[in-house]
Amino acid sequence: MKALRWFAGMAAVFAMAGAAVAQQPIKIGMSMPQTGGLGAGGKAALVAIRMWVEDVNARGGLLGRKVELTAYDDQSNPAMTPSLYTKLLDVDKVDLLIAPYATVPTAPIMPLVKQRDLLLMGNFSFQVNHTVKHDKWFNNAPWNNAASWFEGFFQAGQKAGAKTIAFLAADQEFAQNLANGAKELAKKGGLKTVYEQNYPPTTTDFSSLIRAVRASKPDLVFVASYPNDSVAIVRAVNEIGVGEGVKIFGGGMVGLQFTPIMESLGSLLNGIVNYNSYVPGMNYPGIEDFLQRYAKKAAAEKVDPLGFYLPPFNYAIGQMIEQAVTATKSLDHKVLADYLHKNEMKTIVGPIRYGADGEWANPRVVMGQFRGIADKNVEQFRQPGKQVILYPEAYKTGDVVVPFEKARK
Amino acid sequence: MKFWISAAIVLAAAVAAAVTVKNEYFFFAGYTVLVFVTLATAWNILGGYAGYVNFGTPAFFGLGAYTAAVLFKAFAMPLVLQILAAGVMSGLLGLAAGVLTLRLRGIFFAIATIALVVIMETLFINWRFAGGATGLQLLRPPPMPPFESYIKMLFVLAVAIAIVAVAVARWIEQSWIGRGLRAIRDSEEAAECTGVPTLRLKLFACTVSGALMGTAGACMPMYLSFIEPASTFNLNYAIGALASPMIGGTAHYLGPVIGALILSTLQQVVSVTISSEMNVLVVGVLLVFFVVAAPEGVLGLFKKWFRTSSK
Repeated sequence: MKALRWFAGMAAVFAMAGAAVAQQPIKIGMSMPQTGGLGAGGKAALVAIRMWVEDVNARGGLLGRKVELTAYDDQSNPAMTPSLYTKLLDVDKVDLLIAPYATVPTAPIMPLVKQRDLLLMGNFSFQVNHTVKHDKWFNNAPWNNAASWFEGFFQAGQKAGAKTIAFLAADQEFAQNLANGAKELAKKGGLKTVYEQNYPPTTTDFSSLIRAVRASKPDLVFVASYPNDSVAIVRAVNEIGVGEGVKIFGGGMVGLQFTPIMESLGSLLNGIVNYNSYVPGMNYPGIEDFLQRYAKKAAAEKVDPLGFYLPPFNYAIGQMIEQAVTATKSLDHKVLADYLHKNEMKTIVGPIRYGADGEWANPRVVMGQFRGIADKNVEQFRQPGKQVILYPEAYKTGDVVVPFEKARK
Repeated sequence: MKFWISAAIVLAAAVAAAVTVKNEYFFFAGYTVLVFVTLATAWNILGGYAGYVNFGTPAFFGLGAYTAAVLFKAFAMPLVLQILAAGVMSGLLGLAAGVLTLRLRGIFFAIATIALVVIMETLFINWRFAGGATGLQLLRPPPMPPFESYIKMLFVLAVAIAIVAVAVARWIEQSWIGRGLRAIRDSEEAAECTGVPTLRLKLFACTVSGALMGTAGACMPMYLSFIEPASTFNLNYAIGALASPMIGGTAHYLGPVIGALILSTLQQVVSVTISSEMNVLVVGVLLVFFVVAAPEGVLGLFKKWFRTSSK
């Protein structure tokens, strides 16, 4: 009798222990640049991921378990990420991993996830799986290769009857990659290059370059620039002008998607056709509700108040994890990766299907034209129509206004 | 003899840990700490003994890293040869920088070394074969037995490199070269007048310091499986290499080791606990504290404490 009681007691202890294990949270780990060069974007992205964690827990969690996020600051430094991710895996024992924002901090963790055969949700990287070729990598960014960024720019140029093009690109690899993608498309479209100039990344005065562009009388001006250069180029164009004949100006100007730069340039942005990840007016299900809720959080946390560029994509990473885990009822990385490869993901940044390389099978880089922008008004950018969507076709809200000089007014 | 026995024990402990400990995090974190031990020790040879403040650590470290990465990409060269080549290249850069800048002193020398970092970074940004601004991804070869993972092998190598660096610093400190360098630090004119070959000693210190910094950088591409100029030539390496001897003490070869162990370990801990801006603040606060309260570093504090307790 005594032995029976002992066994019953032990069984109760094991049952309770089992229940406790079942109730353990699902741990998701990542590093995010919260300081350093990528810090501003990283902080805003982290707000979005935390919003998803709150939302999913409010819905009862995943597989009946709460979701817990562990996010370390990698200081935008790639030397930090290998140790942070091994800490997440070996010490914190996380169940799932999300990559940090951007290519550079992500690149050093690719061999680690490949070696351990882990699922990694990518976060706005660019061709980071190119060498490693990991089959459990899923990058959430609206592009795949360099050419995918500018389909919209060249389609708009074709419609405007453009025959010639001028290229102005920062002499840094990323801008050069973008420019090379654009050159490929220009060649395919039969456009004649009348001017081509790379400028050193330290350039601050663009007046002579803009004068040279104007002298070459192109129909299209394609610019691949970094944030500081983008601001200086827009200001130089405003002072000097690129000529009456230019139909479309812009393309790959990094920085014109960032709220502080958009706010400071204001009306100088009018007429520029540039890439983006999301602009108001794209009818993705749930995105408006997300952005309204995000705006309140962003104000409290003092991060990017608009949050168009990165935050929706970070929230979408959470949604994809949720969809895959719920559908497969599993946390097994192979099972989840199979599901992500085979199924369409439904997110607030639209439906996503993945190619074999873990990049979006159907890239959706937005090409928008700034119109009717006033000075010193950040709230105006929330209105649809301030960036008229020219591409992708499915989300188009208008046609390109040409020539550039007319569109500027 | 005591030094070599201690060094052998440390190396044996590192190998034993690499073979027995499963958790890889400690090897990743430990590797970073060891890199700073080597950098700080190398910095102290020129900055601490000779008094020439060098902000160019990232240039030497980065050249070492890029040398290894390029040799691996071009010839799949074994890691040990990469490390040796990195040391030679960074040593030559040290010699060249020494020839060009050692007529400068004080703040002017420090500014010139910062320029060296900018020059090297610009060079590698524009070298497409080395990955340019985007960087270069490298696929690690399998680790050598008895190591089951590459990071454990790198950890042991980093321990060995740190021991070599400390041994070189110790040898310099205890030989006539160290005495000569200290004479230069106290008064270069007086040293010259008393027959110290100041130029040769300064060039020697520059070369050795640069070579050791290069060897510290050599394993970095394999540690990250990636290399790109902005983070490789990051001035944080200069700050870490300079701050550690300040914290540990510049007068003794163990000073930089103690400083790097305190500072880098603290940074590793803070980055996974307090996180964010606090991490960056740690170096600044520690530096200010030691400069004000303990200008001779931890070793200075100990000496003072022993002196007062023996009285």
